[in-house]
Amino acid sequence: QLRLSVNAARDFTLRIQRQNRASPHSPSPPPAAAAMASKPVTAPVPITWYPTLAVFMLSIGLLITASFFIYEATSSRKTRSLPKELTTGALASFFLGFGSLFLLLASGVYV
Amino acid sequence: LSLSQVENTGKAAASDVLLAFPPTEAEHLAEVKAQAASGKKRKKTYAHLIVEPTDVPDAPNGAKGFRLALHNPLSPGETTTIEVLYMLTHSMEPFPAEISQSDPQLVYYRDSAYILSPYRIKQQTTFIKTPSTNVQSFSRVEPTNRAGMELKYGPYEDLPAYSYSPVLVHFENNNPFAVVEELVREVEISHWGNLQITEHYTLAHGGAKLKGVFSRVDYQSRPSASGVSSFKNLLARLPPRVHSVYYRDEIGNISSSRLRTDSRKSELEIEPRYPLFGGWKSTFIIGYGLPLEDFLFESTDGKRYLNFTFGCPLSGTVVDKLTLKVVLPEGSKDPSAVIPFPVEEHMETKYSYLDVVGRPVLVLEKKNVVPEHNIPFQVYYTFNPIFMLAEPLMLVSTVFFLFASCVAYLHIDISIRKG
Repeated sequence: QLRLSVNAARDFTLRIQRQNRASPHSPSPPPAAAAMASKPVTAPVPITWYPTLAVFMLSIGLLITASFFIYEATSSRKTRSLPKELTTGALASFFLGFGSLFLLLASGVYV
Repeated sequence: LSLSQVENTGKAAASDVLLAFPPTEAEHLAEVKAQAASGKKRKKTYAHLIVEPTDVPDAPNGAKGFRLALHNPLSPGETTTIEVLYMLTHSMEPFPAEISQSDPQLVYYRDSAYILSPYRIKQQTTFIKTPSTNVQSFSRVEPTNRAGMELKYGPYEDLPAYSYSPVLVHFENNNPFAVVEELVREVEISHWGNLQITEHYTLAHGGAKLKGVFSRVDYQSRPSASGVSSFKNLLARLPPRVHSVYYRDEIGNISSSRLRTDSRKSELEIEPRYPLFGGWKSTFIIGYGLPLEDFLFESTDGKRYLNFTFGCPLSGTVVDKLTLKVVLPEGSKDPSAVIPFPVEEHMETKYSYLDVVGRPVLVLEKKNVVPEHNIPFQVYYTFNPIFMLAEPLMLVSTVFFLFASCVAYLHIDISIRKG
């Protein structure tokens, strides 16, 4: 059995705000010890590249789209080749798709 | 804050110390922390002790108990010194319950002159520090002394276990009673590089209610005599490198705010649309973005974890109910949270940008949150990086579908013609 003995002194500072003790906890990255065992996760592409990538990919995509439609307009039913149409379409959609993703990211919609 | 020297008078070594709280205090208990002090006055070292709730034997009338686990068991005849810090919310009752604009705010504080303890107490003293020298009245449990802002009850000698002597202090307290009745914080993780935080606040003034009319003329012309217990601004402490901070409510943007950033912290000082008097409420939303690499890490076993601060960024406030939702990216599995204090957890799903199956959301709830709870916690989950491609591939396939339908339209012959 324990007995509480000498000098049990209770201090109350009656405010809603708590007493300021040693150091206020700062919401910052974990201490060095933990950081050695773990590494930060970063975006696959540096964030500063997002606007540049968006502009370039979209413009390339639009150029290829333009070439796709020019091909469709200038060729007749007999001279048209399906593989060529589909590859141009696929390439254009790849660039347009990624370009619009980077456009969304660059404008702050982090999908 | 309770500083006690504990002596083991029994026959066997003791490895725990028990604490007890009366049921009225136990409802408002926000946090109990303990440390063991060793060494002499100037060179004290503190070792943190683990505190767990437990059942206390022979406790009268529903007292709630806590067990402190000592690092080294205390042998018979030995003494050790323990410091216990516990925080209570809503323990001061405004009396009078309604005041006019020009009155100061007076509150009651009820406590006991003796610690409620499962052990016999050889000697104890209780100090109560009030925020001002204006104390209207206080109960006397001899010997009682008052000097300036401090009331001293004791020293009392040789008290049996579980002795309790109620004490009532009536004093002036004009500190802002800022209470956040409900706070919902949503942390959305995007592996493309951003952490988006949205916080919905319901702020109230928890002090004596305002009676009569609010006169803006009196409030602005004589600030030292009018509305001394009201408050008009609050400070939110945010992490460094914060961007896109907004402060708005249902009407729209609130422009009375100021953001100051430096390399170690950011401070957002907000002023609600009106000063808050007793019983008045205000609801608003604060949102901001943070860089992902400051908060998301990959541990050695391949799991990713978010290291973030629990609690309310508004300093000097008490939160009655805090709900923290961590929205993990689509395709995350096995979420789990590591938090130093007890919270309630459950899962939800959120449908956001470019989502097919939805994002798993880990919801953590806690009542009675005080600034002591602003400590980091972790949420672990597994994520296969291949899933990040799902979003651009969705966009690519949508655009390709348009091209393919264009090709199909041009190739199909739907004219009505002979042969």
